[in-house]
Amino acid sequence: MIAELGHFLAFLALASAAAQGAIGLTEGGVAVKRLAMATGGFVVASFACLIISFVTLDFSVALVASHSHSLKPILYRIAGTWGNHEGSMLLWSVIMAGYGAVAALVMRGDALRDKALGVQGVLTAMSMAYLLFASSPFTRLDPAPFDGGGLNPLLQDPALAFHPPFLYLGYVGFSFVFSLAAAGLLIGKIDSEWAARAQPWALAAWSALTVGISLGAIWAYYELGWGGWWFWDPVENASFMPWLVGAALVHSLLVTRKRGGMASWTAFLAVLAFCLSMLGAFLVRSGVLNSVHTFAMDPKRGMLLLGGLAVAGGAAFALYAWRAPSLKAGPEYDPVSREGALVLNNLFLAVSAATVLLGTVLPIVTEAYGMRMSIQEPYFHLTVAPLLAVLFLFIPFALLAPWRKADLKSELRRLAPAGAISLVVAIAAFAFGHSNIWLAFGVFVGSWVACGVAIDLWRRAGSGGPARLLKLSPGVWGMAIAHLGLAIFVVGAATETAARVERTFVLEPGQTAELRGWTFRLVGVGDVEGPNYNASRADILATKGSLAEHLYPEKRLYPVAGTPTTEVAIRKSLTGDIYVALGDPVREQPGAWRMRISHHPMIDWVFGGAGLIALGGVMSLVAHARRRLKRTSSETREATGSAAPAPDVSPDAKGAPA
Amino acid sequence: MIAALLLAIAVGGDTPLDNPDQEARAQSLMREIRCVVCENEPVSHSTADIAVDMRRTIRSQVAAGESNEAVREFFAERYGQFVLFRPPTNGAGALIWLFPFALLAVIGAVMLRGAFRWRKSHAGVQPESELQDD
Repeated sequence: MIAELGHFLAFLALASAAAQGAIGLTEGGVAVKRLAMATGGFVVASFACLIISFVTLDFSVALVASHSHSLKPILYRIAGTWGNHEGSMLLWSVIMAGYGAVAALVMRGDALRDKALGVQGVLTAMSMAYLLFASSPFTRLDPAPFDGGGLNPLLQDPALAFHPPFLYLGYVGFSFVFSLAAAGLLIGKIDSEWAARAQPWALAAWSALTVGISLGAIWAYYELGWGGWWFWDPVENASFMPWLVGAALVHSLLVTRKRGGMASWTAFLAVLAFCLSMLGAFLVRSGVLNSVHTFAMDPKRGMLLLGGLAVAGGAAFALYAWRAPSLKAGPEYDPVSREGALVLNNLFLAVSAATVLLGTVLPIVTEAYGMRMSIQEPYFHLTVAPLLAVLFLFIPFALLAPWRKADLKSELRRLAPAGAISLVVAIAAFAFGHSNIWLAFGVFVGSWVACGVAIDLWRRAGSGGPARLLKLSPGVWGMAIAHLGLAIFVVGAATETAARVERTFVLEPGQTAELRGWTFRLVGVGDVEGPNYNASRADILATKGSLAEHLYPEKRLYPVAGTPTTEVAIRKSLTGDIYVALGDPVREQPGAWRMRISHHPMIDWVFGGAGLIALGGVMSLVAHARRRLKRTSSETREATGSAAPAPDVSPDAKGAPA
Repeated sequence: MIAALLLAIAVGGDTPLDNPDQEARAQSLMREIRCVVCENEPVSHSTADIAVDMRRTIRSQVAAGESNEAVREFFAERYGQFVLFRPPTNGAGALIWLFPFALLAVIGAVMLRGAFRWRKSHAGVQPESELQDD
């Protein structure tokens, strides 16, 4: 019954979303707000039904039967709901309709809101139609099997249970930014006011995407057993492209909001970010890439997803081409100014995104013509990484330069201490960091950015001293923390990439291996039994001087799914991780095991830095929301003479009974 | 020869080269050659038997003084261009490498020209007040 109820609610959501689109794009009014909230309610309820089917192990539902199992722990039963193609598409719709419903609640009722909710309704209706007619999660099985087919054991991991929801909050969050841009273009108003209303949504989506990508990277680091955290895998690139464009967007929105400038480019990025999200969904879900993410090996679905991208993206870009020329240009500015620096930011981020796009899509295109090629890590390390490094060099300048016109000489004089400190730090890093020039350069960039942030904060504190620092607005702190996070990330990423060592060893019990001053002795390998898997577990004694620690890497076999996974053993410290992954027993040599031992210096700086970037984004978002709430309530006070909050002013008020 | 091969198997085939420079070069090559039975994994990461073989081949070629390019070519001839994570630098492949920098240069040049022109005609633009709180 629950599954049928969910199916029925999904149809209601489709109808409600279609009505939301139709009314939102025509007459608008309070009906759109109600429909957006209804759509959100229906999709969430439908998703809840699917979760209940998964938790109660209703194997008569085909999706549950193929993706769950009675031996699966409760967290992964819930996460199993979105750990498959159909469920993840429903999650996609939930988040899309959810953004619409939240926007209906918090946005002031006017033409921009109505049109944006209308576009969001159309997008939601498209995704619900795709769900219901091409990948329904509610299909029943008759007869129902006694037990399920399990979940890909690689995906049974806490970081990965929450990786898709965050990733989708980001990916799909850009859908509402897209809707706002389309609405702004429709009513011919992309200006400072529009940017102020769009920015919280862009920040929310981009911060969530940062968290989602980081969770994926953390998972890849310890679960895949490869030891790296970013592989420039096409699937990772699919999420990195909207991230890069989203990063460009939150910066160009700043120019549009503060100065009214770059309006047309900002609208373009807002449309592009979601188009790249849809392209990502197509790449990941259609089966054109071979990887753990590809649940749907089905060309028909791929064509439908590509069609959806073509329709939504095509319509939006056509609208853009039609309306953008009539947008008002902002006030002029000197090339050497904060605007100028943010234009450079956008140039480098856009070129990086275009490079990732080329490197991701070209191999797929050439393969279609019978020519298989790979564009992976070596290419991106030599193209995107240096582009971004050069971009990061501009950050301190962008933080300090005034709007409109800056004096290059005085800015450079102000930044001289940052340069001097960074140079010393980089030379020290070169001396102690294996004489690696890339490592030293990365450390220089990170230190330069961090010093830039410090000088900016110092300047803002002014004569008030450190006490004044605490009184700076959350927006300033958000910006500082995000850029500080970036600095930490860059130092970690450069150090880890340049100075990690990985080596494969074959050890028999009693034998030892050495790496970076550590001695690893294989004590033995035994069998252990988990709740739904069997594992071989190695006992390895790692010693260095007076330090000694046992590490227990495992090789697990999940009999239900029949696939092996590696559970690596990691010894963490501030300076880096010692990482052991157990491989296979060596056939020719009974008792001997293959294992990978590696040292990953400063790996936590990578994840910590990314976390701070997301935190900074969230703080800016909070600052925006607070400022808007303050403004709305003061406007309302002026209008009504009372302090009572009335979220809907104008055109809604007239036709609304309550 | 056979004895050497057997010995290699006995120690698992993952003996690092004695020359640290050669070993470093071999390791960086291992990171950019695809393990042919894995999904998107370089041979450096894989514990598959064939990856062990491929690592051994890379080490022996590096030890024999082959250039990086020669090692890459050897694998590309055997398994196809697909096996190399680094796209080719000759022919049409060069375009792939040039793309990001050409794109940056072209857009950058157009923007710089515009900026210089603008500067010529607008000498007196004043900066905004220094501090804005966000």
